[in-house]
Amino acid sequence: MSDDVLRVDGVTRRFGSVVANDGVSLRVRSGTVVGLLGHNGAGKTTLVSQVVGLLRPDDGSIRVGGIDAVAEPATARRYVALQPQSQAPIDGLTPRSAIEMAGRLRGLSTRAARAAAESLAEELDITEWIDRRALPENRGLSGGIRRLTAFAMAIVAPTPLVILDEPTNDIDASRRRLLWQAVRARADAGSGVLLVTHNVAEAERIVDDLIVLNHGRVAATGSPARLRGATGTDLRLELQFPPDAADVGAPDGARVPFAVRRTVRVGRRVLHTIGTEEAAAAVTWAAALRERGRVDGYAVGPVTLEDAYLSLTAVEDDTVPAPAGTEAAAHV
Amino acid sequence: MSDLATAGRLEPRRSPIQVGLSTTYVTLLRWTFAGIGAMLPLIVVVQAMLAAGIIIGFGFIIPNIDAATALYLSTGTPTVLLLTIGFVMVPQGVSRSRTDGTFSYMRGLPIARPLLLAADLTVWLIIGLPSVAVGVMVAQLRYGIALSVDWPILVVATLLATLMATAVGYAIAVSLPPLLAQLSTQVLVFFVLLFSPITFRVEQLPDWFQTVHDVLPVRAAADLIRAGLASDVFEASLRDLAVLTVWCAAGVAVSVRALVRRP
Repeated sequence: MSDDVLRVDGVTRRFGSVVANDGVSLRVRSGTVVGLLGHNGAGKTTLVSQVVGLLRPDDGSIRVGGIDAVAEPATARRYVALQPQSQAPIDGLTPRSAIEMAGRLRGLSTRAARAAAESLAEELDITEWIDRRALPENRGLSGGIRRLTAFAMAIVAPTPLVILDEPTNDIDASRRRLLWQAVRARADAGSGVLLVTHNVAEAERIVDDLIVLNHGRVAATGSPARLRGATGTDLRLELQFPPDAADVGAPDGARVPFAVRRTVRVGRRVLHTIGTEEAAAAVTWAAALRERGRVDGYAVGPVTLEDAYLSLTAVEDDTVPAPAGTEAAAHV
Repeated sequence: MSDLATAGRLEPRRSPIQVGLSTTYVTLLRWTFAGIGAMLPLIVVVQAMLAAGIIIGFGFIIPNIDAATALYLSTGTPTVLLLTIGFVMVPQGVSRSRTDGTFSYMRGLPIARPLLLAADLTVWLIIGLPSVAVGVMVAQLRYGIALSVDWPILVVATLLATLMATAVGYAIAVSLPPLLAQLSTQVLVFFVLLFSPITFRVEQLPDWFQTVHDVLPVRAAADLIRAGLASDVFEASLRDLAVLTVWCAAGVAVSVRALVRRP
């Protein structure tokens, strides 16, 4: 029997001539955290809006907890808890009352909702603010405490599917850690979590699987390790070019003198993915470029998910054609 | 870690608890009231000032105001206040909630969406009711008119007028883009204050405009409330009741459709 709590198959959604989702398919299983990565406008929020019944897909199917979310959106919504990217409307409420109300709406008894609010406040270290009222114009509570309250409201009761849209915005580093622990704990308790974000570094540490959306399409899926690269031993050579650099593809006017598996340009940064055997040649080359003033700086380190993500989502103009002598094209 | 989170693995296929409508309604009511409630004292003050503005200000416009005109002005003022809440404050609040994401947030909750409208209507009804008292009080202070209250009619008329104005205001806000909705509310204020036979007799309008007001809800609301406040002088009509009810139903239908539809 399938343990999918979310299954999206071939979902397409258009706004006029713009195709926001183009045949998107993905699944979230019980007990897993799945990251949905993509730039602004990649179609992440459009997809989430269709899962919770705010938008209707033009084509494709969505099943939430086994329920057909396109045909029965009201029933499907009971299987999903959403923390949207916008702040939750808690003006006039304290975090305690907001979390309790969210619990009541999700079927907790008054007593259980009260206990859950206390417990979550401790878990997220917001007990100090639990009885402070949120006021209009962002007064009363800081953006971070509001965001944590919204997160607590989403996870207050066990729900088969939890969707978190950029949950760590405005939150300080120590409470981010607590939030990620709480996310992991919910997954371990049986929920499936869809984490919508464009923060690749954070996603890499928390998710079991990743889906990369680019211009409305699924550009890649798989575990972070798989998306990082097949070998797991590759290195990245990062070159930082000066503002007036003429040709970032061939900074010394010649071919890159070693094999490059993948090349991505992001602004004035160029990221070459290379094998470990090329490390010495790459460092020698980069050091020489820096000495001649062709690059401002360089760094060599293990390949990160960000490199793979950037290569998957880089706009075509920004992607440097793979230099001569490369083993792979610019896109994996 | 929360006890709730560790209370055992979930069965993903198990249906989550179906929350009762009354629990949902009461919770939403508390939530909505907390959001709007902070403005309640301010709203009452604004209503009192608006009442004073109409009753005293119109007194300046109409020189040598006679008893009959004063009675008309005084018994029409509560309607102006109620319609201002429904046609202006409600759409502005709903437009704001559409812009800041609140509208989508609430619609994403596991609730029967029409209850969102029910909670909003209830809260605005509670906020609107003091307007009648405020309007009558200001009128009494200025003109000292004698009222003959027919409580059943007054209660039904006030409830229906407030519901109608709130539902129509809500419908405007969910049907038009936020900026256009806010502009429409400004136009409606002028329409209610200057072009509607609320504080003056309908006979003062051209015939064609009187006919228009026969099917619009404004005069119907005003005349019903007037019949409740001064039952010795004014009579309630079933036709007004029907017009108000139809507009009320239309406002609710348009609002509910906007809440449940998926574009």
